[in-house]
Amino acid sequence: MEFSELIRTGRAQAKLLRGPEAPPLRGTLCVTGHHLLLSPGPQATSDLWLLLLRRVDSIEKRVSGDSGTITLRCKDLRVLQLDIEGVEATLDIARSIEALSSLESVITSFPFFYRPKGLRLGDAWHFHPPERYYKRVARETNAWRLSEVNEDFSLCPSYPRAVIVPRAVDDDALARCARFRQGGRFPVLSYHHAPSGTVLLRSSQPLTGPQKRRCAEDEELLRAALAGARPGARGFILDTRSAQAAKQARVTGGGTEAKAAYPGWKRLHRPLERGWPLQESFVRLVEACGDLEQSMDRWLSQLEACHWLAHVKEALSTACLAAQGVGREGACVLVHGAEGTDSTLLVTSLAQLILDPSSRTMAGFQELVEREWIQAGHPFQLRCAHSAFSHARPKHEAPTFLLFLDCVWQLGRQFPLSLEFGEGLLLALFEHAYASPFGTFLCSSEKERCLCEVRTRTHSLWSGLNQPKEQRKLRNPLYVPSPLAIWPSVELQTLRLWQGLFLRWIRPPEPSEVAWEKVWQIVTDKKTEGCEPTVSASEPRL
Amino acid sequence: MCWNTAEFPVWLLHQLLNIIHTPWRMSLLRGLLGMELIGTSVRLFLDFQEKLASLDSALILDVPLGVISRIEKMGGATSRGENSYGLDITCKDMRNLRFALKQEGHSRRDMFEILTRYAFPLAHSLPIFAFLNEEKFNVDGWTVYNPVEEYRRQGLPNHHWRITFINKCYELCDTYPALLVVPYRASDDDLRRVATFRSRNRIPVLSWIHPENKTVIVRCSQPLVGMSGKRNKDDEKYLDVIRETNRQISKLTIYDARPNVNAVANKATGGGYESDDAYHNAELFFLDIHNIHVMRESLKKVKDIVYPNVEESHWLSSLESTHWLEHIKLVLTGAIQVADKVSSGKSSVLVHCSDGWDRTAQLTSLAMLMLDSFYRSIEGFEILVQKEWISFGHKFASRIGHGDKNHADADRSPIFLQFIDCVWQMSKQFPTAFEFNERFLITILDHLYSCRFGTFLYNCESAREKQKVTERTISLWSLINSNKDKFKNPFYTKEINRVLYPVASMRHLELWVNYYIRWNPRIKQQQPNPVEQRYVELLALRDEYIQRLEELQLASSAKLSDPSTSPSGPSQMMPHVHTHF
Repeated sequence: MEFSELIRTGRAQAKLLRGPEAPPLRGTLCVTGHHLLLSPGPQATSDLWLLLLRRVDSIEKRVSGDSGTITLRCKDLRVLQLDIEGVEATLDIARSIEALSSLESVITSFPFFYRPKGLRLGDAWHFHPPERYYKRVARETNAWRLSEVNEDFSLCPSYPRAVIVPRAVDDDALARCARFRQGGRFPVLSYHHAPSGTVLLRSSQPLTGPQKRRCAEDEELLRAALAGARPGARGFILDTRSAQAAKQARVTGGGTEAKAAYPGWKRLHRPLERGWPLQESFVRLVEACGDLEQSMDRWLSQLEACHWLAHVKEALSTACLAAQGVGREGACVLVHGAEGTDSTLLVTSLAQLILDPSSRTMAGFQELVEREWIQAGHPFQLRCAHSAFSHARPKHEAPTFLLFLDCVWQLGRQFPLSLEFGEGLLLALFEHAYASPFGTFLCSSEKERCLCEVRTRTHSLWSGLNQPKEQRKLRNPLYVPSPLAIWPSVELQTLRLWQGLFLRWIRPPEPSEVAWEKVWQIVTDKKTEGCEPTVSASEPRL
Repeated sequence: MCWNTAEFPVWLLHQLLNIIHTPWRMSLLRGLLGMELIGTSVRLFLDFQEKLASLDSALILDVPLGVISRIEKMGGATSRGENSYGLDITCKDMRNLRFALKQEGHSRRDMFEILTRYAFPLAHSLPIFAFLNEEKFNVDGWTVYNPVEEYRRQGLPNHHWRITFINKCYELCDTYPALLVVPYRASDDDLRRVATFRSRNRIPVLSWIHPENKTVIVRCSQPLVGMSGKRNKDDEKYLDVIRETNRQISKLTIYDARPNVNAVANKATGGGYESDDAYHNAELFFLDIHNIHVMRESLKKVKDIVYPNVEESHWLSSLESTHWLEHIKLVLTGAIQVADKVSSGKSSVLVHCSDGWDRTAQLTSLAMLMLDSFYRSIEGFEILVQKEWISFGHKFASRIGHGDKNHADADRSPIFLQFIDCVWQMSKQFPTAFEFNERFLITILDHLYSCRFGTFLYNCESAREKQKVTERTISLWSLINSNKDKFKNPFYTKEINRVLYPVASMRHLELWVNYYIRWNPRIKQQQPNPVEQRYVELLALRDEYIQRLEELQLASSAKLSDPSTSPSGPSQMMPHVHTHF
């Protein structure tokens, strides 16, 4: 096996420091193909300590005298320090971790070896298939149909097999639409708003180019979307780039929908940050949070200089705009930026959370993440290859998904009763998106997942999360279903730094977690009549 | 002199106004304005000519007259242009109201005079509103605080501490309460001699005693050291006596709330601090908390960034430049040090600033809140405020300016607001530790200004006694205690011996948006009603649960006496009792 070549040393004596709160651990350190182990020795009371090597974001080694120190900065923002006996051992272990944590091959990654007790392979991959949602919309509206045109991923490599399109548009027309949109991402339905009958659509930019090309089928598709909603319905095209950036994209073959070509549609530009600037914002925020030496008088302006909260605000207000178009104006809304795999998904998924009560349930939210992020082709493998600590030159990294989770957290903070899940689920999704024993966030598209046989050879995160023992951590004890839309306040004054994530390993965890546990006790003790524990909302609905 | 209702003019929707300027960029609302004085409030009705999407009925603004800090006329008879003529009302609760009026008919003069007259009764030889309030409540809030009972709860008097009535007629110190707790070994003559050496005779007296290690928090004012570095043997001996009441540590810790330079500067006006030479057995630390003027200016800056427009582009750095959160941090940090010294350091602590009625009150009361879970209940908190603030002479009348028109008075300062803000920060960090909710704190602040209740009137106990405040006015606690459920935190779990140490780092402090920016409709809590509804439900469920638990406890204690019961019964029950309450 090729891992053994990368492991330079078997074992060493080490002391592990896990931050100010946890006591240090001593024992034998050991590197395996996927993990770093610390075995505290036979007489110790604590268990084996285990770290998934993929979780390591950056590694720093220092030697002095006959011992060394390795600092591991993890993708979940935790910082660990290992004091190791022996200079050679230190360097060997550091090299082994460096090599093993940066392996790029998907099929040798840990999810392909992870076989937890109590879970069966292949289970739970059927939990949240987007087809189910699409079939329901097709059945209810009669204006939309499921198409298998992308069955072999030839039309659009980043779309799933099943796509939902206006009934009036046939598969041949879709093929031509796909050629007119970047990466083949022709407009598809993202969400059907039953009360108004209108829809939220998403796509990538049209390839108008400098010649301002047009595509009759693409125009027909959007016309059909309007007609399917309601006779005379209007539409908004929400471009997540500035008007100027959209115009400039023509030089490289992209562009935006010409007004004359799409009657009934009005274009709006709401620039959202993406790519490297977003990653930089994340890096600077984590740096500021971890910088404990520096005088605290400047904390707020430092926080402001990171712009992270400004990005949260922009994302939420753009999502509100999309939701307003669908929910209040009774219009159809098409969202796209350039590729349509990042800020586009951020806007469509948040808009659904605002409008759709079913996406605020535990199962509904998982379904939303599966449908609007994983199946919709957000390139997790590229975007989440590294987190905020990596020294490597970033190529495709961007914390778009984290920004989404942060926006959801803000919603949850403003509407403490409206989400069935709590901060715990959001933290878990953040962790697993960056490094996970489960296969759910592997690869960048459904096509790649099929090639790697992810569904048959790894476990799904959803089955891991939906185990009964996880529920207290993940669910919101105060949840009360409400049929209303939740319109968040997007003023900077009402947005907060997500302390539970960004200060998770810095603050003393005690009060908020203790409080969460107490709230659970108060709530569940009410639901449990007498001494018999009855099945309550804390049981997962599988 | 009394107001009779006939004197309250009622203008109901007949004052024709041109434009109403409400704050917060809610744009201009055009409509008719009516004004009515109801009890202690001025009620302003706005009836819109144009229906607004968000507001389909008349807008009613209830502005307690006591909250008005300043009334100004904008523009004159010759003013031109829309909105240039009218009234501008500045409120103490971060609100400003601006009314643009029509120039015809001189309606403004009447409004201005009536408002001025009733908003600032002191300048017009009128009584403060609280004396006219005839509301009835089914509980009497004045009975909440009984100093003897509170000291008895703390286990006082004991071998080392005695209760003295030396200040019964406020002759020893006119700003202290009648009843004081002092070292057993200090005679009344000693106290009189110490008083001559402490600013305004505010001698060191006990605020709180640790139930186990018997260390104490003692409060006082600065010693009158002066430029020449005067000493006073009696004061030195007195502090030594305090130190000796606790045998565990050889030093007494003195926390001077001020920045070092301020303490030195105070020598010029006869004050100062305890020097090492004179007080061998004491250790002095400065806590760097700034004075009332700095705090007032800081809050003014906060208001500038939230009114009339919320600062948008550089919100966080503007907030930083107000230094408000930094001051909160320093106050909390100081209180944490006091609490930690007493609880972990096992050393008695003496706290003072200059006069010992502003920063000192903040520090002792916050430290007591951290140390003693009793003060985290609704009644306990009322007692804390009543004791450390009201009875020990925090100058509410001067700091707030009840009924007084001198809005620029240098004595005004948001010291008590800052204390409540610190409490709110703590309640954010320990969401299950306090019996009261955010509404409780906001209600206290609202009535700090409203003058509806007598609770915060006057500067000290002697003045209140002279005015017979407890007989002639109603206590704020009557309002709160007669409807306690509204003010309860449904997640409160009572813990007896837990010391709370909040994190006072800037990263963990936040601006109290629901208070400072609450008048902005865009900032408002989006779902107030369902949340409250849910809280009420939870409270009901909790009570039900407590009742069931009590029944179970009774049942299990009955079982305990029965030797045949399995031994696991009570041991399983106990942790439940602790975790839930």
